Amino acid sequence: MELYCWAAGWGLPSVDPDCLTVLTYARFTEAPLKLHKLSNPWRSPAGRLPALKTREEGVLSKTHEIITHLRKQKYNADYDLSARQGADTLAFMCLLEEKLLPALIHTFWVDAENYVVHTRKWYAEATPFPLNFFLPNRMHKQRLEQLQLLCGDDCLEDEERLEKLYHEARECLTLLSQRLGAQKFFFGDSPASLDAFVFSHLAPLLKAKLPNGKLQQHLKSLENLCNYCTSILSLYFPWDSGDPPATAPRPPAPEGSDSEEDPHKWRNQILSVLVALGAMISYAMLSGIVSIPWTEPSLPGRWPISLEEEEEKE
Amino acid sequence: MSLVAEALVSQIAAAEPWPENAALYQQMKEEQILLSDNASSLAVQAFLQMCSLPVQVVCRPNAEYMSPSGKVPFIHVGNQVVSELGPIVQFVKAKGHSLSDGLDEVQKAEMKAYMELVNNMLLTAELYLQWCDDATVEEITHPRYGSPYPWPLNRILAYQKQWEVRRKMKAIGWAGKSLEQVLEDVDQCCQALSQRLGTQPYFFNKLPTELDALVFGHLFTILTTQLTSDELSEKVKNYSNLVAFCRRIEQQYFEGRDKDSSSTSRFSKGPLLR
Repeated sequence: MELYCWAAGWGLPSVDPDCLTVLTYARFTEAPLKLHKLSNPWRSPAGRLPALKTREEGVLSKTHEIITHLRKQKYNADYDLSARQGADTLAFMCLLEEKLLPALIHTFWVDAENYVVHTRKWYAEATPFPLNFFLPNRMHKQRLEQLQLLCGDDCLEDEERLEKLYHEARECLTLLSQRLGAQKFFFGDSPASLDAFVFSHLAPLLKAKLPNGKLQQHLKSLENLCNYCTSILSLYFPWDSGDPPATAPRPPAPEGSDSEEDPHKWRNQILSVLVALGAMISYAMLSGIVSIPWTEPSLPGRWPISLEEEEEKE
Repeated sequence: MSLVAEALVSQIAAAEPWPENAALYQQMKEEQILLSDNASSLAVQAFLQMCSLPVQVVCRPNAEYMSPSGKVPFIHVGNQVVSELGPIVQFVKAKGHSLSDGLDEVQKAEMKAYMELVNNMLLTAELYLQWCDDATVEEITHPRYGSPYPWPLNRILAYQKQWEVRRKMKAIGWAGKSLEQVLEDVDQCCQALSQRLGTQPYFFNKLPTELDALVFGHLFTILTTQLTSDELSEKVKNYSNLVAFCRRIEQQYFEGRDKDSSSTSRFSKGPLLR
């Protein structure tokens, strides 16, 4: 089985909560997976991340499908749970999905300051060249639309409803903290699928360096949840933000933005020269200063123009 | 409502006792109300009954447009209007009536989690069935939803609502599900509820909480509503303790009331709970 997921960053093995869920679940159950950490979702066999390539069922790309598949392969983290604990797992997953997820999406993708300074920066630096211009924006738009549908069209403009969204999320964090209490995991001493799910949604919030950390501060005030995240991180992902030796090469660490600056400058310079050149050539051709009897050369003129449009979008 | 305003309102609310003329608004029960709205309305009625607060059920064809949040049911108490179960529970608590005070912190967290389970799976499945299953949409949802309005307004409003619900389904990833998958989810949810309930009379042993009201509202409505097929109610009927739970709450809180309001949920000629 081969697992494709988003690359490491922010001190986490993967930046995307869905990928992190699958990855954590696999670690808990010690499922033998060949891991591909990608920064280009188009390289994934499903066209999106996470994705699991299996021999029996082809490519799976939904988190719960992947976990169900692993469970069928006898990698079951919930084996020791009683039926009632299984019911609790489902209930708390729903609680997280209904109450915390909207606020998380807002914190990472919609809050203007966090999105520009933190999330978009990471994705733009991690994704390869042509993709970095539009992929972060596209993800932002998808998340924005999702959030609008989840909590109503006018909820993002309305301060009070936004405050309510965050109020519910803080309440959800408090409830989780109360449920966890002094235990090591939600159901005693061994991790279960609920732990994978909760950890993967809390850890990014805990580890990300967000300029606007309303929700983050509340999480940091709940000591047992913070310890819970750090202990899972150190127990199951001892290489910190790094990746296991067998993975495909990934782009340089996003934290070291100084080393990232230079290739960008070069890229931008080359790109602007190309655009200018394209504009000049096309102007020369269109106004008849240069004319070539052959019809093909109008094509290279079109290419740099399309690039120019992409740059404007960014 | 901002948090400050909310705090202020709850202070004012606390000062006034529960009036005799409190009213709960919902759509017309015989010819208009849909499965999901009826379930939510019944949940609120059960909750208020459990708190022994009297409320009169008022049916209005435009209840959906009267509600401050656009959702049914809503209660009109004194000079305040509150909609949906969550805020109503808060409001009633401010007046000094609460069902969950006896629970410890862990139990409270579990209660909230199970309430979200019902909202996330049962309610969404009801919405899916009534707006995304073509047979149900054609035979039940459109005629009932548009019943108070003349043609072509009835079609337009029903399509508008359908479009809105389908977009929401897409956002939560339910749009691609088949009816079988949705029924499978319902089964999973009922199984979880059944496991949690076990042999206890209520979810948290001897005394009812708002979770019991919510579960009762949804399961009782599913059990007693006649749809195009009875696949949905069959899923619930597989769990005998859940059926017994519904019957128990019905007997305890609804049988004594006058016949008119106790027949709320039986808006269609469906079989009563046996």
